[in-house]
Amino acid sequence: MADLLSLLFSFQPDSPDIKSKLDYDRQIRTYIDSVLRIPVPVYLKGADSAQDLLEILNPAVNTIAYCCALLARIQSCGEHPKTPKHIPDTFRPGGPLWRKLVEFLETFDPVQIRYIGQDWRRLLEYTDRVSRIMGSPGMAISAIRSAMLRLDPSTGTFTSNHLLFIRLCMEARSYPAALPILDNYIHSLPSNLPKPLLELEGSVPAADLPNSSEYISTRSGHSDKINLTDIHEYYLLGAMAYLGVAKYKQAQHFLEHILVTPAANIASGLMLEAFRKWILVSCLADGSLPSVPRTANPTAIKQMRAASKAYEALADAFQNMEIPKLRALADVGSHVWADDGNRGLVKELIDHQMRLFVSKLQRTFSAIPITTVAQMLVQPPEVTEKYLNSLISGGYLNASIEHVTSPNELVVLRFYQSISEGPLGKSEKQQHQELVEQTRQTIILADQAKAADYRLSLTKEYLEHLRRQSKKAATNLASGEAMDVSWDENVETEEDMMADLH
Amino acid sequence: MAPNIEQSPYFLARQNLGHVVVRDPPKFDLESYISNYEGRTRLDRLFLIGSTSTYLAVDALRMGVAEAKRGKDTDYYMKIVETLHEVLPDDPMGIPDLGWVDQTNRWVKQENDRLEHELKAYKNNLIKESIRMGNEDMGNFFYSIGNLSEAFKSYFRMREHCTSAKHLSGMTLRLVFISIAQRIWMGAQSHIVKVEAHSLKGEEKARLDPIVSACSGLAHMGLNAYRDAANAFLQTSPTYLTVEPATGIKFQKEVLTGNDVAVYGGLCALASMDRKELQEHVLANNNFRNFLELEPHIRRAISLFCSSKYSACLEVLEAYRTDYLLDVYLAPCLREIYAKIRSKAIVQYFIPFSCVTLDEMAKKFQMTGEGISIEDELIFMINSGILDAKIDLVERLLISPPINPRHAVHTAALTMAENYNHTLRLRLTRLNMLNAGLEVRSPKSSNQGDGQVGGESMLGGTLRRIGTGIGITS
Repeated sequence: MADLLSLLFSFQPDSPDIKSKLDYDRQIRTYIDSVLRIPVPVYLKGADSAQDLLEILNPAVNTIAYCCALLARIQSCGEHPKTPKHIPDTFRPGGPLWRKLVEFLETFDPVQIRYIGQDWRRLLEYTDRVSRIMGSPGMAISAIRSAMLRLDPSTGTFTSNHLLFIRLCMEARSYPAALPILDNYIHSLPSNLPKPLLELEGSVPAADLPNSSEYISTRSGHSDKINLTDIHEYYLLGAMAYLGVAKYKQAQHFLEHILVTPAANIASGLMLEAFRKWILVSCLADGSLPSVPRTANPTAIKQMRAASKAYEALADAFQNMEIPKLRALADVGSHVWADDGNRGLVKELIDHQMRLFVSKLQRTFSAIPITTVAQMLVQPPEVTEKYLNSLISGGYLNASIEHVTSPNELVVLRFYQSISEGPLGKSEKQQHQELVEQTRQTIILADQAKAADYRLSLTKEYLEHLRRQSKKAATNLASGEAMDVSWDENVETEEDMMADLH
Repeated sequence: MAPNIEQSPYFLARQNLGHVVVRDPPKFDLESYISNYEGRTRLDRLFLIGSTSTYLAVDALRMGVAEAKRGKDTDYYMKIVETLHEVLPDDPMGIPDLGWVDQTNRWVKQENDRLEHELKAYKNNLIKESIRMGNEDMGNFFYSIGNLSEAFKSYFRMREHCTSAKHLSGMTLRLVFISIAQRIWMGAQSHIVKVEAHSLKGEEKARLDPIVSACSGLAHMGLNAYRDAANAFLQTSPTYLTVEPATGIKFQKEVLTGNDVAVYGGLCALASMDRKELQEHVLANNNFRNFLELEPHIRRAISLFCSSKYSACLEVLEAYRTDYLLDVYLAPCLREIYAKIRSKAIVQYFIPFSCVTLDEMAKKFQMTGEGISIEDELIFMINSGILDAKIDLVERLLISPPINPRHAVHTAALTMAENYNHTLRLRLTRLNMLNAGLEVRSPKSSNQGDGQVGGESMLGGTLRRIGTGIGITS
């Protein structure tokens, strides 16, 4: 036991022996080798007693050992339970080992975990599995979210865990819980740089890497193999989560990520699904149908458009403020929307049209009696006043309701004239802050774009292209020389002819 | 003048169909008005007045019947007689002279046969000039009996037998003439371009140019392109008034008179030009001055507009609304032209103010008989982006909105940056996918189940899973 402990404690990340990141890298690799060689039963000795390894080890310092110990415990009671009765009480949410698991996921050392991606992912997936089987997906959300954020604060490198996480959020219907991850946009996919190249660069996972895709790679084990459907599903579910919290603009942006997928002139089912939702969501976000992102494959878009005529008809009616037509269309196509799972969106579209109508009034009027608005909406004035109040408090209208007493008693909806006034108005200071924040984001994004460009320049295809380019240049040069030679020969024969004549 | 003309079933029916019915007496005198015109346009004009103005209906239709009887167009004769009968059932002229109709129809048939026979003979002889003239005769004949489409075809057949530029331009001019008579403005326009393309020289050009520009203005106006129409009319040289008939057509009598040029040109210019342009291109235009002298009130309206007396200008125009509604070419687009002038006047009027009461606006601009309130008109103008203002319905004010350029620029910058960021992210996603070799392919090449769905069966499955499994949106 003492041997075991000394081995497990043999690596201390802040020990004075480690002078550089390279040292760290070397030491941790030998350490992992030896730890992984310890057989499972050794970990199980003294379980649930004072000698329990999980009590002795500190998850924030001895992350690797703790992770192995936890996995051993999980393995001992079956890593892939099928029904609730296969899960021992201790691992059920609320049980002591479950608490240990959650504690670990919230406190592990993010640098050490870069080296044992596969084991880390097993813990994550086990957490997910247990919560799902126990029928309380919500229990795992915060643990998985903090684990993801600890490993990669930007969560911008797409992993299979992203998908796991968003599925959990959707099943638990806790959309706001998903936002911290969703708001961090995906800037990279796990890199697949060849090993020799990494060694050449001399960068080790332990280094302070600005871009998380450098330590989350296809080989590091942090993510399962990723295919296009995973990415599409993530964006689609993410968009739906945004819809759940009524953030239409973000939802629209998420869906556009699916539309720009590279395609060999064909669209997939998920793309079609995204396209249909995109039409509706764009109406909600902008009040009109914007153009499809430029980089999308035109043939694929054309195919999807042909399959989404019903949705475009809805969007047309919405844009042109044809309220009765929109309602009629929504009724006629109700089975279409229901089949595609878009009934809620269509209903929202109808509700939103009235909102849009009222908010368009502010372009024309600066003040308008409630009775007039009520006439326009074909509603009694009291209902209208209530409705307008709800719009103002919901942040849809930059206006206030006033009660004027002279000359006659009148309730008035007054729009704020200047964009810097009113509850929705922004002061110059606020705007300045926003500008600064936007600049910061743009700079980060530019760096990420550069990183992506760099990765692209290391791909086989690009190198092949370069090679061909240089070859072409070489042959061009060579052919040029050949031409010169032939011309010289001609000159000589000409001279010969002259010589013959003489 | 029977007082019950206004209540006659004919006009009531027209009104129910949404056609224009003019009740006020016009300013012109029918006799002298119609004496300005010759040819078929007299019939057209009389019929329009007869079927629109309750005041002049009977007079115009009676003159129309007499006019039609002088010609050979029996269909038109029957139409006018019928209309007269409907308007005034017991008028003796409302009973068709069937004997004359029969006789004329017989004559028409004989004449048709004769001309066709002659043309056949010419064709056998293969003499180009004779064939051309034969076709021209046919065209003239069809025109006189009112068969405009056949006339057009006959004139068009002259084309391959034309031997000189003069013949060619003459033929094209005839085509223009027929197109205008048929109200086919697009066709008229394209033939006008052809006349111009023949690029005649010297005297011939000087003779045709005024006709061409007047007709081109008319065609543009027919197509509601008022700015082009105004430019064409303004270019028309005053020689148009005295120009001799081209290929036997007196354009200033049979199509539009100098007065018409002045009215059309002036109104189109008012509808499409701003004050500076009006001053430069219309009032200071020596060519057009000659026309404007014929219609002094148009000149007055334009100078009033230029000196910012908008209500006076609109008053002048309103006074002539009845006259213009009875004009063959102006009637279909008069409403639009007047509306344009009106909204321009309102915009110009509002520029120097930050705030005007609606009552004041109503006083200045409320004299149309169309019955829309000034509020509705202003709301429409603001919504369609013509007028930059806001309405306060409580205090009844029209307010010019405050502008905050600094704030606006900041907002614009923020929006732009957001869009830019989003676009960049989209590109990044795409680039990453390309880098990872992810691409949607047709199902054939990817049926190992790596999920790149394209087939119908998988599509359905995906939809169901998303629709029912998560079920957030339903």
